[in-house]
Parts: sequence; C-alpha cells; structure tokens
Amino acid sequence: MEKASLSFDQAPPFSAPLRFFLTAPLFALLAGLLLLWEGPELLLSRWTPGALAATHLLTIGFMLQTMLGALIQIMPVVAGVNIENPIVFARWVHIGLTLGALTLVSGFYFSLPTALTIAAIVLGISVSGFLVGVLRPLSRTPSTSPTIRGIKLAMLGLAGVVGLGMLLAFSLAHGWALPLMALTDLHASWGLGAWGGILLAAMAYVVVPMFQLTPGYQARLSWWFPLLLMICVGVWSLGVLLDVSILGRLAQAVANLLGIGFCGFTLRLQLKRRRARADVTFRYWQLGLTSAIFALIMGLTATLWPDLATSNQWPIVVGLLLIVGGFLSFITGMLYKIIPFLGWIHLQSLGEYKVPAPPMKKILDEPAMNLQMLAHGVALLVLLVAVFVPELVRVGGLFFAIASGLLVWNVFGAARRYRQHSKLILEKLGKL
Amino acid sequence: MTTIKNFMTEDHRHCDDLFADAEQAIGKKDIAAAKGAFEHFQAAMLAHFNTEEKTLFPTFEAKTGMSMGPTQVMRMEHIQLRALMENALEALAQGNIDEYIGQADTLVIMMQQHNMKEENMLYPMCDQHLSAETPDLLAHIEAELGEG
Repeated sequence: MEKASLSFDQAPPFSAPLRFFLTAPLFALLAGLLLLWEGPELLLSRWTPGALAATHLLTIGFMLQTMLGALIQIMPVVAGVNIENPIVFARWVHIGLTLGALTLVSGFYFSLPTALTIAAIVLGISVSGFLVGVLRPLSRTPSTSPTIRGIKLAMLGLAGVVGLGMLLAFSLAHGWALPLMALTDLHASWGLGAWGGILLAAMAYVVVPMFQLTPGYQARLSWWFPLLLMICVGVWSLGVLLDVSILGRLAQAVANLLGIGFCGFTLRLQLKRRRARADVTFRYWQLGLTSAIFALIMGLTATLWPDLATSNQWPIVVGLLLIVGGFLSFITGMLYKIIPFLGWIHLQSLGEYKVPAPPMKKILDEPAMNLQMLAHGVALLVLLVAVFVPELVRVGGLFFAIASGLLVWNVFGAARRYRQHSKLILEKLGKL
Repeated sequence: MTTIKNFMTEDHRHCDDLFADAEQAIGKKDIAAAKGAFEHFQAAMLAHFNTEEKTLFPTFEAKTGMSMGPTQVMRMEHIQLRALMENALEALAQGNIDEYIGQADTLVIMMQQHNMKEENMLYPMCDQHLSAETPDLLAHIEAELGEG
C-alpha cells in the first residue's frame, strides 16, 4: 500500500481516460443510426441480428469503453491503485475494445462466423490485458472500503461476462451444441449484474455523496450488496451448469430484489441532498434509478411467470429500461462531471498554479448538457412505446441518434475547448 | 483510542456540513446568509489546512523522511482549494449566484477527492508511522483547530 500511496500525485494524463470517453458516444450514435436504418425489424425480438448488434454497440461500445476509461482514472484516487505506463496501457486497451466491438457488431449484423471468432479473441485479449494490468496493484491494496472491495468483485464480474461472451461467440460461429438461450441470460446477468451492477454500486458509494452532498451509504449495506449480488450470479451460473432451472430463477429473483433495494436506497439518499441546485448529473441519476427500478420489477415478475421472459416484447422493454434508461443515464451523468473536472484540474497544473484555469462550465456548459438529456429522455420514452407500436421505431431511433449526436458534440466540444484553453494558458505562462 | 484518520475525517465531515449550510442558503436565494455560512466554512477549512501544514505534515515528514511525497501533493491541493474558496466568496460578495454555483461545483469535487486521498491513504500512513506520537499530536491539532 505504501508504494502505491507514495506516487498518488501520478494521476494519469488526461488523454488516458479521454480517448474512451470520446469514442463511446460514437458507438451510441451508431446504435441510433442502426435503429433508424433497420426500423421495426430491429425490435421484433432480442435475437434479431440488428438487436444483437445494437445491444453490443451500447454494452461494449459505450458502457465497457467508459467503464474501463473511468476505472483507469479513478482507481488511483479511490484505491491508491496506480497502473504502470497508463498512456500505453490505455492506448492498447482502447484500440482492442474499439476494434473488437466493431468486429463483433459486424459479425452479428452480417452473420459472419469468422468476424464473431476474431471479435471474441480480440475482446478476450483486450480485457485480459486490462485485468492483468490492474490485478497486481489491486491485489496489493487492502479492501479497506466497500468501494475497493466492490471494484475487486467487479473485476471477477468482468472476467465472467467476457468469458461467457467468448463462449457464446464461438458457439454461434462454430455451431457448438450449447444451451444458447440459458447461456445468453447468464451472460447478461454477469454483464449487467456482476460487472455493471457491482461497479455501479462501488462508484455510487463515492460519487453520490460527493456530487450531491448526501449522507453516505449505510456501511453494512454497502459492504454486503456487491457480495450478495455476486453470490446470486454465482448460484444462477450453478443452476445453468447443473441444469436446475429453479436455482437460476431463485437467484434471479433475489438479484432483482437486491437491485431494487439498492436503487430505492440511492433514491432516498438523493432526497437528502444538500447541494443548492439540482444539476444534470443529479437528474440523470434520478432517471437512471427510476428506469432501473421498473426494469428490475419486470425482471422479478418474469421469474414468477416465466412465459413473460420468453415473449418477444418483455425482454426488450427490460433491456431498454436497464441499458438505455439505466446504465447509459448513470454513465452520461457521471461523464458530465468527470470530463469538465478533469479538464479543469489538468489546465490548473498546466498553468503551474500561476495562470488560473477557467471554471468547469467554460469546458462544458449546463444548457448543452440539459438539451442532450432532454433528447435522451424523449428517445427512451418513444423507444419503449415503439416496442408495441412498430411505426414508432424509426422515430425512437431518430431521437436516440440525436441524443447520442449531441453527446458526441458535447464531449468533442469539451475536448476542443480544453485544447484551446491549454494553448492560451501556455501563452500566458510564457509571458510571465 | 482515537486515530488520526478518525479525528481528521470527522473534521472533514464538519467542514462538509458547514459548506452544506451555505448551499442550502443559496437554494433559498438568501445571499447574505450564504455568505455568512460560507465564511464559516472557509474559516474551518483554513484551520484544517493550517494544522495539517504546520503540525501533522511536518511530523509525518520528520518521522518518515518523505518530504516530497504525498504531503507535498496535499499542500499543492490546499493552494488550489484556497483559491477556489476565494473565488466562490467573491462571487457571493458580488451577489452573483450563477458564478458562485459554477465555482462551488469545482470546489465540491476538488475538496471531496482531496479528502478521499487523505482519508484513504495519507491518514492511514500517518497512523501507521506516528502511533507513538498520536495522543500528543492530536491534542496539539485539537488546540490548533480550536484557535481557528
């Protein structure tokens, strides 16, 4: 621990996380354009090539990108975990993820077995590389906070979701005789629960009190939630492995209840916020938590009436609520704080504390973020209705493409303004 | 026995509470009350920085020989936080709520990530290296915070 602490001024350079944050919205935009292009076909069932492609544009292209980028940035601060050569590390992980995601999505969309195989290998190598890079410093850090332990558990979740994803891709490509549906549900539970859900909770413990000055999460709850969720996913996996479906259903029910509890608790904490004004990050979290609660209630209902889960519409509504309504909202809300703050802090040190950095809103302004969130909210609503009214799929796709396009505009704009201010600051510094 | 980590963390929470008072007043558009509360908060923060820079950090540095390590980073961040507090207070003095909110946004994140580094890393290191000195050190720190 001491060694890690000694170097805790070595926050990674801005470009290490920024490359992930810039690429991710482009993938969301691609998903929007795909919806627009494909139309009603895409939302017919979760198994259409278009739906599989769109799902992975969002989960790998957007979610995994931003999550790994943010981890590279945040682990030194919250856990004293420093990655060696962060720029080189970030560059390779980023290239691997980007190429892997594009190949996988083409494999799904155009039904290309070779692309699926290559994508599985590329993504497997990239994520393994990431895990190898962080596991050593992470294992040296004692689990002194629920966040550190949550991050460690989430790494297990990441290994699980990618491992299962590779297995599924190989099975699809080579026609292996595996129970694809059960494995796909399991893959999703590792991805959205053991990886996404646990990482989200670990981050929420830090950022919810931090951004909104709410009281902290109750220590015992925050300590147990990630572990219990991981146990559920473990039991679920055992159920699939031993082909005991009741085990999976039971674990699924408990996992959904845990998620509802976590979201409800976070909503309640946010009611006690002590900041002067609700900002876009806060509203994005409210949207995310509400959508996630609806999705999890639907998930819970499906464990009681399994016929629902095999219908075409039910899983799509759950997926939209959880991914577009939940994770995309949480992540975008956090990006809107992280990007301007990182910009500010790097400008601050560039000016060597002699030339002041401009305030965060000069890097990314509130009205632009609000407009983007409005488009995102409308897209979510229209897409939910479009599951039942196919004529609306293209309208939903259009709104989603607009929302993602505005996000692209906002993050690239922030990066551009950051560079402009860097130049100004260096000029001023030269004249001093 | 109280540890350095517990004691100093509690003082961070105390400062957070004072900052929250200012935010609440802004929420009610009561600039005069916000300014008063913010000055209160600033005084508590400065007292906290002061005792760290004059007492805690030098003791840690003398004992461990690490004078360019974590304490140096914390000192730099104190400079940034002092400037942010000045800016926010100036905005309040001018009655400019929007400007205040912009400054406070940066201040909040900067302050919280700074506290996090201290609470998760520096204070535990202090507890580890300064266990013999802790009772005297804490008495001294408490007195200094009281003066502030």
